[in-house]
Amino acid sequence: MSKKMPAAVVALRPRAKEDFSNYLGMVMMLGSWSILFGGIFFAYAGVRMSAPTWPPPGLPKLPLALPAANTVILGLSSWTAQRALGAIRKGRRDEMQALLGATVVLGALFLGLQYVLWTNVRASGLSIDSAGTYGSVFYALTIFHALHVAAGVCGVSYLVVGARFGKWNAAAHAPVRMWTMFWHFVDAVWLVTFVSVFVL
Amino acid sequence: MSEQHIHPEPTTFIRKYVFSTDHKVIAQQFIWMGLIFLLMGGTMAMMIRWQLANPGVPVPILGKLLLHSTGGIVSPYIYTSLFTGHGAIMIFFAITPIMIGGFGNYCIPLEIGARDMVFPTLNMLSFWTMVISCLVLVASLLVPGGTAAAGWTTYPTLSTNIGTPGLGQTLVVIALFLAGLSTVQGAVNYITTVIRLRAPGMGYFDMPLTVWGLWLTAILNALFVPVLGSGLILLSFDRLFGTHFFVTGALVKGGGDPLLFQHLFWIFGHPEVYILILPVWGVVSDLLSFFARKPAFGYKATALSMVVICILSAVVYGHHMYLTTMSPLLGESFMVLTMIISVPAMVLFVNWLRTIWQGSLRLEVPMLFSLGVVFVFGLGGLTGLYLADIPQDLYLHDTYFVVGHFHLTMAAAVFLGSFASIYYWFPKIWGRMFNNTLGKLHFWFSIVPITIVFCTMLLVGYSGMQRRLYNVESYDFLKRLLPLNQLISYTAFTLFTGQIFFVSNFMYSVFRGRKAPDNPWEVGTLEWQIPSPPPHHNFDIVPTVIHGPHEFNNPMVKGKDWLAQDEVIPPETAEAPHVETQLAGE
Repeated sequence: MSKKMPAAVVALRPRAKEDFSNYLGMVMMLGSWSILFGGIFFAYAGVRMSAPTWPPPGLPKLPLALPAANTVILGLSSWTAQRALGAIRKGRRDEMQALLGATVVLGALFLGLQYVLWTNVRASGLSIDSAGTYGSVFYALTIFHALHVAAGVCGVSYLVVGARFGKWNAAAHAPVRMWTMFWHFVDAVWLVTFVSVFVL
Repeated sequence: MSEQHIHPEPTTFIRKYVFSTDHKVIAQQFIWMGLIFLLMGGTMAMMIRWQLANPGVPVPILGKLLLHSTGGIVSPYIYTSLFTGHGAIMIFFAITPIMIGGFGNYCIPLEIGARDMVFPTLNMLSFWTMVISCLVLVASLLVPGGTAAAGWTTYPTLSTNIGTPGLGQTLVVIALFLAGLSTVQGAVNYITTVIRLRAPGMGYFDMPLTVWGLWLTAILNALFVPVLGSGLILLSFDRLFGTHFFVTGALVKGGGDPLLFQHLFWIFGHPEVYILILPVWGVVSDLLSFFARKPAFGYKATALSMVVICILSAVVYGHHMYLTTMSPLLGESFMVLTMIISVPAMVLFVNWLRTIWQGSLRLEVPMLFSLGVVFVFGLGGLTGLYLADIPQDLYLHDTYFVVGHFHLTMAAAVFLGSFASIYYWFPKIWGRMFNNTLGKLHFWFSIVPITIVFCTMLLVGYSGMQRRLYNVESYDFLKRLLPLNQLISYTAFTLFTGQIFFVSNFMYSVFRGRKAPDNPWEVGTLEWQIPSPPPHHNFDIVPTVIHGPHEFNNPMVKGKDWLAQDEVIPPETAEAPHVETQLAGE
């Protein structure tokens, strides 16, 4: 960078320039990844718009209560993750560890409830390979999203374990920041999934 | 960003050459990988050509080695596998590794004055994701039932379990997804590196055009490869778990839409053709200037027209789907937008011609290849106008005319451009010189056959030969095209054999070539101002950039016709009075 950084960059600028590079890279990775999900939602819009009725006649409506509870759980986990990032920025590693632990628990709870959701829906007569695009959309979107939550749970668990061994402090905590961003991203994708698949 | 650390050089073999985070080593890994797959894809092309020239005759040599089950004959199923493999391998496993993985990695940090990529570990990860992808691809060749046979475009329903049952196609879909993942990892790295690690003084318009091309490629990659990813994810769900996104028909209640995949594919696919050609455009724009000993004509216009092309490339994908009962209004919009691309492309092209106009050309091997790119790209670009036009495309769609067109642009041009890059950076990468005579022979044995092959394809396509036809003798009206097909095939074999000049030259020179000087081409970009090959941390002192990348024949410099980007003009020459008058007189 030869000249002064633009004002917007300065406003976003974290502690060090290197941190900003990490942040920028992560934003781009998640941006790219959101296009992947965008393509999937595009496909969903395509099949749904071409279907005469949705849900197709004879197929059950998807439950709303369980996904709504899951939305709250993920929202809560995003909040704990963000609090954890705030804690490590002030150098409070123990607090961060506890909050990230809560995030992991909430994420695992989400996955458990998704499993219950899949079993319930399957029991109500909607299986992945027999219900046309209606079933395809439900299973493909939720399973692909759940894989991301699982990746997030692994990543945040790594942060918790790392914190136990004294990793990360107020000055150096790039992985905490990046996994938090990833967690928010996965949460946002769930919000779109919830609204478009279950509510609408 | 001058406070980049100097990482200590790794000492163990594994960390230095295998799991290296050094962008120069990763670049070489990518180049080697790409060259191996180039050979593989080329061999497949030769087998396709053999079948078209001599339908039903066993393939000599290769038939005995590879096609036991059919007694050396290319059967229809093998034929479809061959053109599928040829397309997928050349695009995702040859061009992408060589130009983007290889030269992207090599040139970006060195030409912007950085010590490495901004995320070296991600860079390593990108390469090893690509290796896994390659292994999955190679595995697909070995599983029972054969490899993918749905064309490189993997259109459903050909690519669903109905069209191609078996593990082979699934593995190829997964391999393509992993290749895309690797590309996105690389792209994020390149974009961030260019934004964050440019040397002090280097603005965006001080970057060599190579970096511009590679950077724009990376942006397109980050934006559009995920769209292909989403299509492939859904396709693999269809194949593995029985979902119905792309399956339709009486069997499926409320089934999906095969056309949906085409939309996802071409939203990615059209930018992809620019992804493949942009690095070459950048390299050629630089090389023409370097070897004509003139500043690149219209540097900013060249860079900006590449930007405009990138933007337009996102909104023209419909021209691949004119035949899918598209609304005429939409079709015409796509047609007009597609034709508009020829405006910035022409700016680029005229700038190239204007750069070499009245230059003192040095016809070194990289320059010959660059001129070759200008030639074949001109031909290819012109034929694109035919295909953009709906009434023409209705007739030409899925004929050999299309094959000729896209091979001239993104195969011949990229092929020649890759070799231009390999020869040009050869002294820097390996610290040795290649053999000039062999290089020139390689050029002539490439440019002449490649032009004949693909121009004749335009001809047979115009006569109506279908793109994926197995046997020309199947139709009466195509039988008379057999001699032309034989001409294509035997010229293609010449082209393939001519590559022996490259292979022998490359293998010998990499290990035994004459030691190269630091700056054999006498150019001013930053990578040539450091030793060949560069040390582990590239620059002992991160340079401060003062000049643009094409400072040739600056009247204030005496004794040489070039100026390094970080070189200060000695004050006594700068103040020479007669130079001042000369400038004032202009």
